[in-house]
Amino acid sequence: MVKQTTALMVASIFAMSVPALAQQPAKPNEHVHDHGADTAPSKSANGQPKSDEHDHHDHSGHTMSQDKGTAVDHEGMHADDHSQHDMDHDHATDHSAHSAQSTEHGDGHHHHHMDNDHIMDHEGTMIMGQNLDKLPSSCKSISESVEITVKAGRKYARNFPGTAFAFDQQQWNVKPCSKVTFHFVNEDNIRHQFMMHGLPKYLYKYGMFHLEVTGPKTVSGTIIVPGSDDTFLVHCDISHHMEKGMKAQLVVGKGAESIPSIPGLTPYNRNDTYEAENLPKASDKAAQSAMVRQITAFTNNSNMQNYAMIGLGALLGLFVIPLFRKILLRKKSTE
Amino acid sequence: MPRHFFIAILTFYLMSTAAVVQASLKLPATVKVESAALTAEPMCDPKISLAWREAQEIDGVKIDASPGCSPDNPVWIAAAVKGTNNISMDTLMKTGLSPDAIIKTDDIDGDGDPDRIIIKLEIMELNGRSPDFPGIVPTFDIAPGVQPGAWVFAPKTSGMSTENFESVRANPLLRLPSPVIRVEQGDIVQIVLENTHYFPHSIHLHGVDHPFSHGEHGGQDGVPQTSEVELMPGGRRVYQFQARQPGTMFYHCHVQTHTHLAMGLAGMIVIEENKPNNWVQTLNIGGGHVRHRSVAVREQFDQEYDLHYHAMDKELSEIIQKYNDPRLIARDMNQRYDITDATEDYYTLNGLSFPYTLRESLIVVDPDQKIKLRMLNSGGELIAVHTHGHHATITHYDGVEHNPAAQIMRDVFDMAPAQRLDLKLETIDDGKHSYGPGDWLIHDHREKGITTNGMAEGGSMSSIVYKSYLGESGMPKVSHFGIDLSQYFTKEYFERRVPIWQNLDDFASLGSPGGDDGLSAANQATLLNALIGLLIGLLVYGVFAKREYIKQTFMAMVSRSKDAKGGTNNG
Ligand SMILES: [Cu+2]
Ligand SMILES: [Cu+2]
Repeated sequence: MVKQTTALMVASIFAMSVPALAQQPAKPNEHVHDHGADTAPSKSANGQPKSDEHDHHDHSGHTMSQDKGTAVDHEGMHADDHSQHDMDHDHATDHSAHSAQSTEHGDGHHHHHMDNDHIMDHEGTMIMGQNLDKLPSSCKSISESVEITVKAGRKYARNFPGTAFAFDQQQWNVKPCSKVTFHFVNEDNIRHQFMMHGLPKYLYKYGMFHLEVTGPKTVSGTIIVPGSDDTFLVHCDISHHMEKGMKAQLVVGKGAESIPSIPGLTPYNRNDTYEAENLPKASDKAAQSAMVRQITAFTNNSNMQNYAMIGLGALLGLFVIPLFRKILLRKKSTE
Repeated sequence: MPRHFFIAILTFYLMSTAAVVQASLKLPATVKVESAALTAEPMCDPKISLAWREAQEIDGVKIDASPGCSPDNPVWIAAAVKGTNNISMDTLMKTGLSPDAIIKTDDIDGDGDPDRIIIKLEIMELNGRSPDFPGIVPTFDIAPGVQPGAWVFAPKTSGMSTENFESVRANPLLRLPSPVIRVEQGDIVQIVLENTHYFPHSIHLHGVDHPFSHGEHGGQDGVPQTSEVELMPGGRRVYQFQARQPGTMFYHCHVQTHTHLAMGLAGMIVIEENKPNNWVQTLNIGGGHVRHRSVAVREQFDQEYDLHYHAMDKELSEIIQKYNDPRLIARDMNQRYDITDATEDYYTLNGLSFPYTLRESLIVVDPDQKIKLRMLNSGGELIAVHTHGHHATITHYDGVEHNPAAQIMRDVFDMAPAQRLDLKLETIDDGKHSYGPGDWLIHDHREKGITTNGMAEGGSMSSIVYKSYLGESGMPKVSHFGIDLSQYFTKEYFERRVPIWQNLDDFASLGSPGGDDGLSAANQATLLNALIGLLIGLLVYGVFAKREYIKQTFMAMVSRSKDAKGGTNNG
């Protein structure tokens, strides 16, 4: 009994450790390397002075307004009182996407605007907690300006079995005190978010920086990261998008503790248990010999097969075993 | 055999017999669960402002008073009536809706209301597993502490799925049931499904006049075996229709319907009669009281309520709490779950079970009113709704008006799965329509319908409450009958840990008995048997060990008696 339970325990420990191992990235080094390579060119491409920052509009995500025009009628939107909307163009939302309809709008660049922390357009494209110029107290100056393109969509889940949505990368590295502009490219036809948590609250309301857009479309926003090494959670907060893969981290400098359950990067805190299923396989069929097929042809009932096996056993017993005995006896006698 | 050993066993036997006698003289005392030990919730959700109850006007939208505990957020109503495209920025921001959630434009027939309606729905999971912590997210309680895993069609929202980053409670727009949709007959309606969920889904417009296939959007009956392929995660599909007939209808997902419908992907859709200046409340989030009625309903009725009855299976809803990997959830739901062996465990009215139904789904009436009740059964079994104190008239079956001359009155309304009934409830105190003012129960009369996972009182029961029986708080006034509803507002009640009758008298005669102090009668019997066994064993051992001695003694005795006999014979 004691032996049995120990064996069970050992088995379950082993069973639990297998999925845990499976969670580990296959080639962790390669991942880190990839990120470095990706951020490097965008850094060099960005040497512009600060005033140019306002003109960084992403021009890659036009498709939505044209082909989904049936579902998005902007007419009534602008019957509204415009005066309450601050026409602030500091934010880098994708204005170009509206150009096709700018005539009917009368104002192609119209955006709802709550306050400087919260910019939203008529389709729900949102920039929250953007920071273009406020230096964190831990920084004397901006170390560098970086642009990072983050792609989001279902197709990036392909790399991580068992997820449904993902970002194209799971980690981005920046220097402390760098000014980072994120171009968030949503490639799906639904909403996704690029939401960052844990930023200093004196600069970022709720410690959050948040981009949100219904795809296919791009939204861009800028922050200035703190001067100390740190790691920030990035996720999409739509119900179960993070849980099902849309999770990443922004590493400032050497970073801090890694965030759990980032696909391919860090293990889940709670793992599912997996068991191999008895799935039908094409090879099962091929393995069946012609003989077996002949037998099963007229005994395709499992009982019949059982009886056939018993019969075979009986035959074996009747003829083969006496034969063996004879052989053995003969051997003995020759000895 | 040592004599003192025998004495010890005998003493123990006598003592334990005495203990049995002692225990039967006095049974264990009653242990009362103190109210301080319970997780008491306020009967009314304190997060809901009292101002929401008042009659008011927002952005020109007139909203009726709703004196219950948790009336709909008035800004939601304003947005639903005017469209998120036509309300002020300020109002929109208070709704939490996406600015493109409800787009209303183009008065095509020139009768003063918009005729082109776009409604965007997302699909949200409630109470699902997290790979990060041993809890579920985002949480939605159908009753205190009762959190079945569920999926809903939700109006397109903006921002987070939870109340805030610290909370795991769902954003109030993400809730059961899927919202009631209201459009006008003749409107060009587009329901845009943006599949934010990790499984494929669809929308089937049950009872709504819709073309099987639309030139621009393709097949649109929502059925993956007839009209269209499943809409995959991340995808968008437009369902367009222009309904020629009014009526109370039904929409639901038709992908793996036997599980997806029960998971919550089902809602009521109402086509209102075309009338001039008819700005209908496009979404009634959470169902219940309709605080901005259509022109036709205003003409004929004093009030209107949407009553969506639903049922869920615990074993089904637990699958999304058991796994995080969508493949494992798909495997268990599609290949392992067997609905023919399943039973329903949670019965809800407008997404909630008693006592939360008292917060949201009270039918608050005055005498001599005419009230329209639209009822939908999206559960898997027939239900039988009983209106205490009232007979109501069935005016419509499945959205189609019943011949007015043949309309009948009943007090039990049976509804097959997917069935809709429109009722005319008249609060005329004539002994037939109504027996007069009161706090009259309205409940599914299959008795399991008033339980939550088998625990009564729960399920879909609610009340028809006359205002004279409605308390200041918005809850039915029952304290003057000595009734205390507070125990229902604890999660311990639904965990089956509260002896429900303990407070019916001052000494808790039907409270919980404490455990035995010493040995229970059963244990004592077992112990005695063991002792007897031990005794017999010892005896046998003793006999065996001393068999030589016994033999000798016996022989000696025999020979002595022989000797004696012989002696006498001889002598
Ligand atoms: Cu997302
Ligand atoms: Cu579905």
